[in-house]
Amino acid sequence: MVDVPAGPAPARITDSAWRVRTRRGGELLMSLLKNPTTVAGLVFIVLLLGMAIFAPLIAEPNTPDAYQMPRDWGALAVPPGSPGHILGTTNVGGDVLYGVVWGARTSLRLSVIVVSLTVLIGVTVGSIAGFRGGKVDEILMRIVDVFLSIPELIFALAIAAVLGPSFRNIILALAVVFWVKYARIMRAQIIHVKENEYVDAARVIGDSPLRIYLKDILPNSITPVVVQATLDMGNIVLVGATLSFIGLSEAGIAEWGVLVSEGQSGISAGRWWSSTFPGMMVFLWALGFNLFGDGLRDVLDPKTESTR
Amino acid sequence: MTAPANTVVRTGRDGDDLLVAVRDLKKHFPIREGALQKVVGHIKAVDGVSFDIRRGETVGLVGESGCGKTTLGRVVSGLTEPTDGGVYFGLGGEERRKLDTLLEVQSPDRTDEQSEALSALDANHRVDVMVGDAFDHYRRNCQVVFQESFASLNPRQLIKDIVGRPLRVHREASGSDLTERVVELLEQVGLGRQHLFRYPHQFSGGQRQRISIARALALDPELVILDEPTSALDVSVQAQILNLLHELQQERNLAYLFITHDLSVVRHMADRIVVMYVGKVAEAGPTQTIFERPEHPYTDALLASSPDMKESAQDLQALEGAIPDPALPPQGCRFHTRCPVATPACGWEVDDIVRWLEDEEGMFDELRDVERKSPFEAALSFRSEDAANRLAAALRSDAVPDAMRSAIEDLNTTGTDTRIRFTAVDEVQLTLRSEDHVAACVLNRGTSTEPS
Repeated sequence: MVDVPAGPAPARITDSAWRVRTRRGGELLMSLLKNPTTVAGLVFIVLLLGMAIFAPLIAEPNTPDAYQMPRDWGALAVPPGSPGHILGTTNVGGDVLYGVVWGARTSLRLSVIVVSLTVLIGVTVGSIAGFRGGKVDEILMRIVDVFLSIPELIFALAIAAVLGPSFRNIILALAVVFWVKYARIMRAQIIHVKENEYVDAARVIGDSPLRIYLKDILPNSITPVVVQATLDMGNIVLVGATLSFIGLSEAGIAEWGVLVSEGQSGISAGRWWSSTFPGMMVFLWALGFNLFGDGLRDVLDPKTESTR
Repeated sequence: MTAPANTVVRTGRDGDDLLVAVRDLKKHFPIREGALQKVVGHIKAVDGVSFDIRRGETVGLVGESGCGKTTLGRVVSGLTEPTDGGVYFGLGGEERRKLDTLLEVQSPDRTDEQSEALSALDANHRVDVMVGDAFDHYRRNCQVVFQESFASLNPRQLIKDIVGRPLRVHREASGSDLTERVVELLEQVGLGRQHLFRYPHQFSGGQRQRISIARALALDPELVILDEPTSALDVSVQAQILNLLHELQQERNLAYLFITHDLSVVRHMADRIVVMYVGKVAEAGPTQTIFERPEHPYTDALLASSPDMKESAQDLQALEGAIPDPALPPQGCRFHTRCPVATPACGWEVDDIVRWLEDEEGMFDELRDVERKSPFEAALSFRSEDAANRLAAALRSDAVPDAMRSAIEDLNTTGTDTRIRFTAVDEVQLTLRSEDHVAACVLNRGTSTEPS
C-alpha cells in the first residue's frame, strides 16, 4: 500500500456512510467542548431550556392559561423568602418565580418561532437572489437594503406599535425585522459557493439545478446561517423583552420583559427583586446563546476546516 | 473580408472517426461599466476557432494563460454558451461534410432549404441547442476533469457519493450495485474500497485528481476534457497522473481534449496540437510536425519557454512582453506585437504606436488625444510641438522595429499633431502548410509540401 492517505485513522472496509458521518459529528462536538466559554454558554442554555421544559414541575401552571401570571392579591410586593413566594411578588401580586420559570417557556417559544420564520424567509430570498443573479438579485437586494437601513429595535417597535399590543404581533414584528440578515448572508455565500468547480462538475454530470442547489450549494453555504441563527436565539429574546417592557405585549403574561416592567416602579422604593430576577434571565439567555454561537463559528469556519 | 472559416481551418482528415467538430466558435464576454451596467466592449476570449477531435485521439490545446483555452474547453463541455458558431457532437463523416458545405455559405445568403438542413443538423448535434436524447447522449459522453482537484470535489460529500453521482443522476445504478460500480472505478484509477467512506480533504492532491478522473469515467464517456489536470501537482505526481490518463485512454478508446500551457506535458500524450493565441488558432497540426517543423513564431516561442525543450530549441527566442488585451486584439496577425520576425505585412496599427508611447519615458503623459479614422490611420495630438516632433523622428529612426517603420504609408506633423497611416491589412488566415497542418502566419518557411 503506497497510496495510503494521511487520514486520521485508517478506514476499515466495514465503514458505512452513517458511521463516518456520526464520527464526524462526534469530532465536531469534541472540538466545541474544548473551548471553556463555549461550554459555559452551553451550560446556561441547557439550564434555561431545562427550566422551560420542566416549568410545570417547578411552578404549578395557572388555570386556564398557564402563560398568564397568577395574582395573589393578598401578597402585594412581598420580598423574596416570603412563604409561598420564594422570589417575592410584584406590586400587583404576580409571583416572580412563576414569571421567571414560565417566562423561559415564553422566550423559547418566541425565539424558536421567530428564528424558524426568519431563517426560512431569509434563506429563500437570499438563495433566489444569489442563484439567479441579474435583475432579480438587484431588486431583492434593494428591498433588503431598505430594511437594513432602519435600526432593528426602532423598526420592530414601530411595527409592533402599528399592529397593536399583543405577543403575536411582537413575533410578527421581529420576523419582519430579522429575516434580512439571513438573506444577505445567504446571498453572499451562494455567490461565492456557486463559483466552485464542484458545481461545474455537477452540471457536467447532468444533474438538475434544484439538486445542485440542495446537494452542492446549500450544504456548503449554510454554516454562517446556523451561526447567525444561534446568536439570534439570544438577540431575539433581548429585543422581544424590550418590546414587552415598553408595553407592546398583553399585560399580565408570564414574560420577562413584562415582569421587569411591573417591578420598575418599585426599584426606587427598594423593591429590587421583581425586576432583577427576570432581568438576569434575559441576560443569561442572551449571554448563553452568544457564547455558544461564537464557539460554533470558530469550529464551523470553513477556512479552518479545509486546512485541518 | 474574412474568408469562410471552414475552408482552410479544418485540420481533420475526412473519415467516420469524427467525434467533435468545433466550427468558427466565438465566445465574447461583455464588459460592463457604470451604474447602469452599460456594455462598453467585449472580451473576445474565443474569437473564431475551428478544429476536430476524432475518436480515441488526444488533442492538445496549448497557449498562455488568458489566451481563451479554458473558455474554449468550457464551451466544448457545454458549461458556457457560445456567442457564435458551434460545437458539434457525434456527427458522422457524411454529416460532417454536409455541415461544412452548409457553413461555407454565409447565413444571409443561405436558401431556405439550406437553412432547414442546417437547423436539422443543429438540433441533433449542436451542443448548445440540442435537447432530449441527443443532449442526454452528449452529457453522458463528454466529461471534464478540472485543474483544481480540491475545488472540484464537494467537501461535504463522501467519495462514494462523489464518484457514484453520475451513475445515480443517469439512473444507471443504485444501492449495493452502485457501491460495487464505484469500487470498480476507484480501482481503475489506483484507489480502492477502503477509500469509499472518506471526505475529499482526507486525500492528497494527486489522489483527489484520481477521484476526479474516476468520476469523469463513471458514465464511460467518449470524450474527456482535461483542463490543466496536472499543473497544480508536484512533478513526480504529474507523471503518475499522465501515465494513468494514458493507460485509461488505451483501455477505453477515450478521446482527450488536453488543455495546458505547457507544451512538454502534451508532447507524449497528444496526437495533434492546437496552439491558441488571443482567442484564435495560431497553428494546428500533428504533434510531431508541431515540434519538428513549427510554422508560427508563437509556437517557436512556446517551445523555447518549455524547460524540456530548451536543448532542442536553443536558437529560439523566449517570449517577451505581455499578452495583448483580448478586448482589443491586434490587427493582422495578433502576434505581431511580440513577434521577433514580424514583417511590414503583419498588421501594424495605431495601437502599436500607443503601446510604444506607453513604454517611452515621458512621452505617454504628453499624449492628449488619439483620433482614429480606422485602426490603421489616426491623428495623435500632443501637449507640445516638441513631443509631436519627437514621435515623428522616432518613427523614422530605428527606435521602432524595422517592420513597423516600413509599414508606415504616410507620416506628417503639423503643430502639436502627428498624422499617421499604416498599410491596411486583413486578418491573417490559417493556411495549409503540410498534411493536416495549418498556421496563421504571413511567412512561409518553405519546409512544407505544397497544399494538395
